[in-house]
Order: sequence, then C-alpha cells, then structure tokens
Amino acid sequence: MSQQPKRGQFAKTKDEVVLRDHAFDGIQAFDRKLPNWWLFTCYGAVAFFVAYWFVYYGTTLVKSPQQAVKERILAVQAAQLAELNQAMAGLNDAKLVHELATHPLYVAAGQATFMKNCIPCHGLDLSATQDDGNGQRIPLRGLPLTDHVWKFTHKPMGLFDLINKGSPPESTGNNGVRMEAWGQKLSPAEIAQVLSYIISKVPEDFTDTPAPAAK
Amino acid sequence: MTTTLTYDDKSVRRFMVAAIFWAIVGMSVGVLIASQLSWWQMNGHVLELLTKPLHDWVTAKFGWDWWPFFQTDGMAHLTISRLRPLHTNAVIFAFVCNMMFAGIYYSTQRLCKVRTASDLLSGIHFWGWQGIMVAAVLTLPAGLTRGKEYAELIWPINLCVVVVWSVFAINFFWTLARRNEPTLYVSLWFYIATIVVVAMLYIVNHLSLPTSWTHSYPIFGGLQDALVQGWYGHNAAAFVLTTPILGIMYYFVPKAANRPVYSYRLSIIHFWGLVFIYLWTGPHHMLNTAMPVWLQNLAMLFSLMLWAPSWGGVLNGLLTLRGAWDKLRSEPALKFFVAGVIFYGMATFEGPLLAIKSVNAVSQYTDWTIGLVHSGTLGWNGMMAAGMFYWLAPRLWNTQLWSKPLADMHFRIGLVGVLLYIAATGYSGISQGLMLNQFSPNGLALKYTFLQTLGTIQLFHILRMVGGFLYLSGFILLACNIWKTARTGNPCDETVEITVLEPARKDDMTWAEALINEPLAYILLAIGSTVLWFFLPPHADKAALMMTLLIVIMAVRAFKSSDSWSHWHERLVGNYLPLTVLVFVAAAIGGAVQIIPTLLVYREKNVEERLQELYTPLELAGRDIFISEGCHLCHSQMIRTLPADVLRYGRAGVADDYSRYGESLYDHPYQWGSKRTGPDLAREGGPMAKDPQGKPCSLMRVGNRGNPWHFNHFLNPRQISDSSNMPAFPWLFEQEADVNSLPNKIAAQTRLGVPWPVMTPHAIRTMVETQSREIAASLVAAKVYLPAKPQLAGEELRDSLAKTKAVALIAYIQKLGACRPVAKEGPAMPTPLNPDSYRAMPNTPKTRPQP
Repeated sequence: MSQQPKRGQFAKTKDEVVLRDHAFDGIQAFDRKLPNWWLFTCYGAVAFFVAYWFVYYGTTLVKSPQQAVKERILAVQAAQLAELNQAMAGLNDAKLVHELATHPLYVAAGQATFMKNCIPCHGLDLSATQDDGNGQRIPLRGLPLTDHVWKFTHKPMGLFDLINKGSPPESTGNNGVRMEAWGQKLSPAEIAQVLSYIISKVPEDFTDTPAPAAK
Repeated sequence: MTTTLTYDDKSVRRFMVAAIFWAIVGMSVGVLIASQLSWWQMNGHVLELLTKPLHDWVTAKFGWDWWPFFQTDGMAHLTISRLRPLHTNAVIFAFVCNMMFAGIYYSTQRLCKVRTASDLLSGIHFWGWQGIMVAAVLTLPAGLTRGKEYAELIWPINLCVVVVWSVFAINFFWTLARRNEPTLYVSLWFYIATIVVVAMLYIVNHLSLPTSWTHSYPIFGGLQDALVQGWYGHNAAAFVLTTPILGIMYYFVPKAANRPVYSYRLSIIHFWGLVFIYLWTGPHHMLNTAMPVWLQNLAMLFSLMLWAPSWGGVLNGLLTLRGAWDKLRSEPALKFFVAGVIFYGMATFEGPLLAIKSVNAVSQYTDWTIGLVHSGTLGWNGMMAAGMFYWLAPRLWNTQLWSKPLADMHFRIGLVGVLLYIAATGYSGISQGLMLNQFSPNGLALKYTFLQTLGTIQLFHILRMVGGFLYLSGFILLACNIWKTARTGNPCDETVEITVLEPARKDDMTWAEALINEPLAYILLAIGSTVLWFFLPPHADKAALMMTLLIVIMAVRAFKSSDSWSHWHERLVGNYLPLTVLVFVAAAIGGAVQIIPTLLVYREKNVEERLQELYTPLELAGRDIFISEGCHLCHSQMIRTLPADVLRYGRAGVADDYSRYGESLYDHPYQWGSKRTGPDLAREGGPMAKDPQGKPCSLMRVGNRGNPWHFNHFLNPRQISDSSNMPAFPWLFEQEADVNSLPNKIAAQTRLGVPWPVMTPHAIRTMVETQSREIAASLVAAKVYLPAKPQLAGEELRDSLAKTKAVALIAYIQKLGACRPVAKEGPAMPTPLNPDSYRAMPNTPKTRPQP
C-alpha cells in the first residue's frame, strides 16, 4: 500500500509546509496550500464563464455578432448615402467644369488622390501606358483618359457616377479588366476632386458644358 | 533485493544530437522565410543575382557561351508558401519532438529506476522519426501537402508517424510496467498525457481519403474541417510544445537546482486542469468567423479558464528555485530554465488574452499571433531545450561543459533574439490590426487600404528576421559547445544500483477501484450536467446549471469531509493503466462535446441563407494547385463578422456580406486561413462572364479582377503593384495542370459527400477543355505575353495556355465566393445540439446575396 499522504493533515494544520517524504530520483516535493491570488483567478474565470454564457443565452441584452455587424454596416451605408445625396445636390456638370476643375487647390487635392489610387491602371500621365525602362510605352490595364475618347460618357456627372459605381454591369471591361466601384473607398468629395483633376487635364473635351448662369 | 542496471543513454544522446541538428535546419528555414516577407527576391530570384555576375564575367573574359547561371523570378522549391510548412514541421516535429524524446528517455528511466524496455524499439523510434523528417524535407518543398497547418505531410508519411508513435508508446508504457518505483512522478503524468492525446489528435485530424500515393482529401469539410483543425492545431501546441516540456521542467529544474518542487498539490491541480481544459479551446482560432457562436463562446471562456492552470506550472517552475537563485551564477542550464519558464508564463498570459473576441478582432490574421507562438516556441521550448542540453551533455559524455562563457553568450544572444522577435511581431501585428479596423474620421469609409498597412510593417518584418537570426546564432553556439563537450569526454551510460520493487507494491488497483468511486462520480456528474446546461433548450438549461451547482457543493463537502479523495488520487498515480485511461477521458471530453454536435448539426440540410456553388472540374484542379502552392498560408477566405472585414472584403452594397458556413460546406480541406500576409479572397470570384465578342460563356466566371490581371499578377506581382511582397509563380505558366487525376479526385469527393453530378471521365475532360479554352481565349484577346513561349500567337497560344496550371488556378480564383441563396420557409427552427438556435433572435427580414 502507498503511504498515508500528508496533504490532508496539512489542510488541518494551516501555515505548515510539509515536505513529502518520498523522493523520485532524488526529487522531493513540498506540500502546501494553493496561493490565494491564484485560486481567485481560477474562480474568477469560472464565474465569468457562467455570467457570460447566461447573459448571452439567457437574456436579450447582447446582440448576436451577425446582428451587430449588419446594423453597423447599414448605419454606415445610410450615412454614405446621405453624404452622397448632399454632395450630389450641390454638384452639376457646370459646377464641375467651370468652378472645381479650374480651382487650383481642388485640382491639386484631386491629383493627390489620383496618384494614390489610380495610376496603377491609368498611368502617371493619364495615358494608361508606362515606360518599360527601355523607352518603350507599354499599355496598362485601364483606359487612357487623355486620348479624347470617352467610352461610356463624357458628361461630367456621368463620369462621377462611373467612378462612384465602377464599370457598368453590362460592360465586359477593357480586355476583361473592369474598374472597381471607387465609392467604396473614396468619399464623394474625393471623387469630385479626382474628376476635377481629370477634367483639368483635358478641358477641351468639356467645352460643350455651358457655364453656370450668372446669378 | 538489489540489482545493478545500466540506463540506455545512447538513445538520449542520439535524440539530443538530432534535435540540435533539426533546430538549426528548422530555424534557418525560418530566417529565410522571414527574409522573403521583406524581399521578394529571396524566393529564388536571389540565385540569379548571385550567379549572373560570374556568368557575365566569364562570358566577357573567355568568350564562353555555355557558362550556366540561374535565370528565374522565383523558384518553386524556394518559395515562401512551400517553405513555411517545412519551417513549422521542422521546428515542431523534428526539433521539439526530438528534444522531448531525449528528455523523456532520460528522465523516465531514472524516475522508474529501470532501463528502457526495449533497445530495438528505441532504435526503431529514433531512426523512424528521422526518416519521417527527411521525408518531410523532400515532400513539402515539392508542393506535396495536405494543405492543413501542422498536418501538411502526405498520407503515407502520416501512416509512418502513427506507426513510429505507437512504437514509442509501447516502449514507454512497457517501461512504466517494469518500473521499480511504486508511484509515478508528476513528469510521467505529463508524458502519458502527451502520448495518448497526441495520438488521438493526430489520427482524427489526419483522417483522409487518398486519391493517389501523394494526394488525399481530408474526410471533414468546411466548418467541420475548420473545427477539427482548430482542435488539433491548438492542442499540437498544448501536447507537443507544452505538456512534455512541463514534464521535462518537473524533472530537470529540481534536479539542476537541487531543491524540492514548490507544491505537489499545485502540480495535481494544474495537470488535470491543463489536460481537461486545453481541448475545449480550439475554436478560438476562428473567433468572429463563420464558426457557430456557441463554439466561439466555449473556446473564449475555456481559454480564460486555462490561465490559472498554466500559471500553476509557472509557479511550480519558478518557486522551486526559492533558496537556489544563487545557482544561476554557476549553472548555465538554470539560467535557460528560468528564462524558459518566464516565457511560458508570458505566452500563457497572452494566449487567453488573444482568445477574447474583441482582442482577437485585432490580433487574428496578423503578426501578433505569430509573435505569441514564437514567445512559446523560441522562449519556452527553445530555452528549455538549451538548458536541458547544457545540463545533459556533461553527464552523457562524462565530462565538464566545454565552455560556460560560450553558454552565457548563447543565453544573451538568444534572449535578445527572442525579445526582438516578439517585440517586432507584436508591434507590427497590433499596428496592422488597428489600422485595418480603423474608419476614416467621418466614419464613412475605411481609413487604410491593405497595401498601406503592409508598408507600415515593413521595418518590423526586417527586425523580426534579425531577431530570428540572432536566436539561430545562439543555437549554432550551442551546437559548437555540445560538440566540443562530446569531443572532450566519452559516451557514458550511467550504471546504478537499485532496489527491485516487489510486483505487489505497484499497479495494485483493480479497475473497479480506479473507476467506480466517489471523486470520479462527482466530477463526471458535474461535467455532464454542465454540458447539459450548454445544450438544453431555454429554462431546462437553467435547471441543469442549478444541478451543476448542487453537485459542486456536494462534491466540495465530500472532499472536505475525509481524506478519501486524496487517497484515491495517491493510489491512482501508482497505477499507470487506470491513470492513462482517465487522462484520455479527461482530454477526450472537450473535443467530443464540440465536434460530435458539429458533425451532426452543420450539414447541407440545415444550411441557412447561402450554399456554396459546386466547383467545375477545372476549378477543382485549380483549387488543388492553390493548396499545393500554399496560397492559403497568406490568403484567408473568411469575411469575419466585423465591420471592417465586411466593408473591405464584402460586396458593395450588401450589408451582411460576412461569410456563412454554408459557403464553404464542400471545401476539403477548409480554406478559412490563419494569416493574412495578403488580402482576403473570399469574394474574389464573380458571376458568369462574357467572351470578348460579348456572348455569354458556358463555364467561365469573372470577378473583381479580370483574367489578364490574375495572369500578370501570378507572373510578376510587382507589375501590378510595386510594393507587393508576393512571390512570383513563373512555373505555373510552364507546367501543365493535372487533369488526368480529376476523375479519381471527383470520385473521392463524392464519397465524402460532395454532391458532384455523375460524370464520365470523358465528360470531365470536355468540361475542362471548354472552360480552360474560354479563359485562355480571354487572355489571348487581352494580348498577354507568355515569356516561356514568345513565338506563339492566336489559337496556338490559346491551346498552349489552356493546359497550364495558371489557367486552372485563375478558374478557381474566379469562382471564390460563388454561392446561391437558400430559401427557408418561416422563422428559423430551434435545432437540438445547437444552442445558438434557441436564442431569441429579433425578427428581421433577411437580405439575400445579389446574384
């Protein structure tokens, strides 16, 4: 039979640390009470378990993650739409061509956004080509913006819509490459700035837009 | 009666030398793949940079035109996505396992006062294990993989692992049976847990249906595969990297310090705590994903409960040194042990922290997780290994350690290395996680693109590589030191005189005594009624909770009323077979409670909202290429229920476009991913496409990006974005996709429950040809440039392209996220074994995915 363990005895005589008498290959072990702080973390985790599970499954205080994320995204979409509506209300062809595209600060802001997001497809100089290092121009994936050809529309507000929503669904894309919906990443103001920058590069294509009526 | 016996220390020496060898191999590969994160050229292109100057010089000097050089943008075998599994397998299964075997063979003999049962089995174990690791080195870089993390080895090697592990188990338990010591020391409990639990995990997670000698599909798919993988993956960390090393700590730390263990009672509590709780925490690797919420909750809450038992081990390790701290000055091993235990404490504090859902929303898929793992592996495993080697070497070769200053040097370099590594990965992970979740100030859009976050963490990728390199350097110093030590001494097997134990003084418990008794009855009742609380419908669950409470109160009273509980445990650890059975039961409960309901409930008939569209044969071929190249190691396919994930990766305008489990139901293996070194791909595919003439295609799809985009991107990612760190995959354009094996593969998937339509091999081939030609035609129309065959054009180019792996892979990528809505009548019905279905859900109209 194994020896009488001393752990039970210890529990009765607190504060005494007992050295267990058996040695394994010379290794002995103390027997002592578990540290209180350690026990509290242990019990605390168990209590938290019960409370968390009870609140989640026993009450309706907490939304499910699916519900929570959907509500958040719906709120973001509503705010996006509100901002878009607001921006569109003050925006028209005439304003884009004659006010914004001629405003140096606005065009510069548009250029910055363009350089950050658009040059991989439309090129540094908007020609949709890039230098291959040997002086040859190789085509990029996007359409050129300075060739005076407008595949979908050359109405400024139409272009705004195109950038906002991406290539129209019926388009097969340029060699299969379609433009993404930039409205997902850029605010309406940024899109208007980018568009101003593009218009400022080829103002001759937009001369048919009448100037705003004098107030 | 006394007798003289000689311990088998030869096996210990062999395993130790092998461990040091594999440590250097595994860590070197780790440093290489760390460098590949910063410099894409390290994926093979570096060979061109190194050999081309000599070629140019020789050509110019001698006019030779035959002097060879490497010409490549990337080499398959050196690509990060193929080497990463080699790194993890080499450090976990070659380095740590060999180290663990050395420690187990050394300490078990001494704790049992008997020589290892069979030298033959020890030999088979040693050479078998090294053979498996050599097979891993040969297969993994060749792209032969099962595609599941830490379970990559192909099925014939899996069988060898099971055989060799069984040999190890037989040898170990046979030694226990022949012991000359009445009871088993704590270390041995941990070794027992390691052997039985690893066997269980390994076998279940490697169940697969072979389609050829080198390829198989796991029998679980989608969510179920994810759950089993999480259960396995997390507990590979627990039962390969933690429990055996704790056993080693319990032997070597008191030995080296020559002090009694701090608290026996603590070792009992934390042993059973670890064995029982660890197995519940697997799904915390899939928090906020399509993993059912009840599994996420269980994983998070059990992970928090794991903190105390883990720190029980830390206390026992560190406080054992009370009264012996001065020995740190003279005994290099102790220094490593102390550092190791402290890192264990930090890692087991950080682990539960990252298992909290909101923290995990930042850490998951970033470098933070990698940092945590390395604080465990470099800090805990590596330091404990080094300490053990420094302590063992003089004893195994009967001499002094060759150089203590060199060991001190190793300690300092290693400590700086691991701290630099953890700091760098932690900083980069937290930064990237916070940036990815951040909205722009007006709250209307995300502030950063994925590429912008990558730019931010570049510096830390370099620092992390430096940290890893320092740590590796430390291990090279260790190798030199041990080598010189061995050279100055002679191999020596310890001979001791021991008292033979009468058989009646050990293993004296009957099965009835061991299994039918008060403590066990109370514990099992409490666990059973807790499980009822998880699963019962509303109100019945609260009754179960009350019952649990009642049982616990009664159990505490019974425990306090007499010493019978500690008597029983004291006898149990003197009976190795009942102990083993109870360890297995304690460990099996967690997995069973999570996996069995998941297998029963989350099936096609219960799928809500969205169901995956089946792959075409070509897409399946592409999927196997995706897995073989290791793309899943850097790209997840899982949009979490987090606003930033849905906005960044979801489809425009769909408010609830997070991933559902139905969307990956038929994926063998699942592809949710564990790290986003690149962006998520869950919605990368798209609807059926039109050909260049505008006619609808029969099989081709096009998603966010057109086929030419993907073509150029695989050929050279830098062509698309300058700062990309993705390797180039030029060989995909030279090798042909494996179409001949498709009938076999489809047959295997059908047996696993994927509802493939019945197709003849001829029909399969025709479908493959149609789809691949549609894709190839779209590429030809876009005037893509194929460097390997610049002379081809028109239909010739189309037919040549159609056969390539690149086209099959494009077919797969363009399919990702394809699913169809599932219409269910009426409100969702409560389902047994699905606690989430009982939850009072506010009735909201469900939005369908847009076609």
